[in-house]
Amino acid sequence: MLTKSDSALVIAGHGSTLNPDSSGPTWALAEEIRRRGVFGEVHCAFWKEEPSLRQILHCVDRAHVYVVPNFISEGYFTKTVIPRELDLGDGVTRIGRHVVKYCEPVGNHPRMTELLLKRAAEIAPGVPPEKTSLFIVGHGTDLNENSAVAAKREVDRIAALGRYREVLSGYMEEAPLISEWDKLSTSPNVVVVPFFISDGLHSYEDIPVLLGIATESPGAASANRTSVFAKNPYHLRGRTLYYASSIGTEAGFAEVILDQVAAFDARHPA
Amino acid sequence: MMRDTTLELERWLQAGGKTAGQICITRASEGWELRHTEDAQREDLTTFSKYEDARALANLDDAGAFRPLKTAPNLRHGWRLVLPDAHAVCLALDYFYPAMVGVWLAHRDGEVTPVDLHDTLARQTGMYRITQKLTDEQAQRLIARQCRSNGGCLKTILWRIRENISVPLLPPEKFRADATPAGALPLLCQEACNFVVAAARKMVKDETPLAL
Repeated sequence: MLTKSDSALVIAGHGSTLNPDSSGPTWALAEEIRRRGVFGEVHCAFWKEEPSLRQILHCVDRAHVYVVPNFISEGYFTKTVIPRELDLGDGVTRIGRHVVKYCEPVGNHPRMTELLLKRAAEIAPGVPPEKTSLFIVGHGTDLNENSAVAAKREVDRIAALGRYREVLSGYMEEAPLISEWDKLSTSPNVVVVPFFISDGLHSYEDIPVLLGIATESPGAASANRTSVFAKNPYHLRGRTLYYASSIGTEAGFAEVILDQVAAFDARHPA
Repeated sequence: MMRDTTLELERWLQAGGKTAGQICITRASEGWELRHTEDAQREDLTTFSKYEDARALANLDDAGAFRPLKTAPNLRHGWRLVLPDAHAVCLALDYFYPAMVGVWLAHRDGEVTPVDLHDTLARQTGMYRITQKLTDEQAQRLIARQCRSNGGCLKTILWRIRENISVPLLPPEKFRADATPAGALPLLCQEACNFVVAAARKMVKDETPLAL
């Protein structure tokens, strides 16, 4: 078991100025890892919330600090924003009294496949995968250029297992558009799992509207917060559709964080 | 030598530290009690006993609205949080006022280098790059509105807009770390936060039509 009592862990998340639930999964992860006593101290830092990435090193007592981005994809935030805000170089960076070790984002971990499959099975219990199309939904934008890549990678991995009749990617802002799920898929059952860290405007409102299971209206996100997942399955467009919540709340994420730290050490032997 | 934040906070409490922002901290029969300063005399408070409860208590205001800026002067009322030791107080304060204990200690130890607003804006990329067009006059109005202690943010500002550019619309003590009253935990701002940067973006877009 990983023991790092002489080191600190910082989990870096996006956060939100609008959504009170956005940072929840990152805080829950920090509490879970703190409970396990693996690190001497555990902190969170955010781009859009406090503590900010600019403040966080002032809060860390120990010299050695592992920073793990709680992001699905390698891209704008993990390659540009986090390194810039923390003044990081590649790999190990000495900053004042700290030695900062910048790890791979959680979304790069092979275990994401297992967590997506678990979420898909939970949301559609008893539904045979061989009669089901599984969609993995990514964001897909110019700024997050790799979010689509991450979703496609998971689609390929799950498809290779041969369990589901078909495994497809769908995006909010680029083709193939998730709004065309019924044209893209052929099975009577359709399971949709957003490949996001936390539930928020995208999973409460944007994707349900694109799927056709919710209507666009001001405040829909707060109204849909729990109900959009509780109303499964949805019968529309001649299919049975199951819509899952984001995977960032899965308990397995704690192991993924610890694995990313261990992987960093393996790449950078002392 | 490694810093020990818990020990430092314990020393501060024992030396008479009693408030942090809108929270008063008092001795309890076993440990410490935190509550809203305006609830000091109330007896109808809901009791909480885990430091993790601080996250929920800090997250929403009295009306149930999200508080993205935890140092905004709108902490909810009606609770008391009883904690066993200084370590738990430390963790709770990190939820109520994220990073403020750490920044205070770092500032005391000479480790904080405040960053001018224009340097903060100069390093922005993506949708915030436009904030580099913010003028000094706009920055003065922006800070006066966003950072004022009555309704904006309780932190003391350590940074400048740029050299020789002050913010005349805010009182001088808003910028003086040594103006923190005795017994109060200094809430220090080393650099304009994301909320100021986001507000700068809106101001530039609203007031400079060609910037769109």
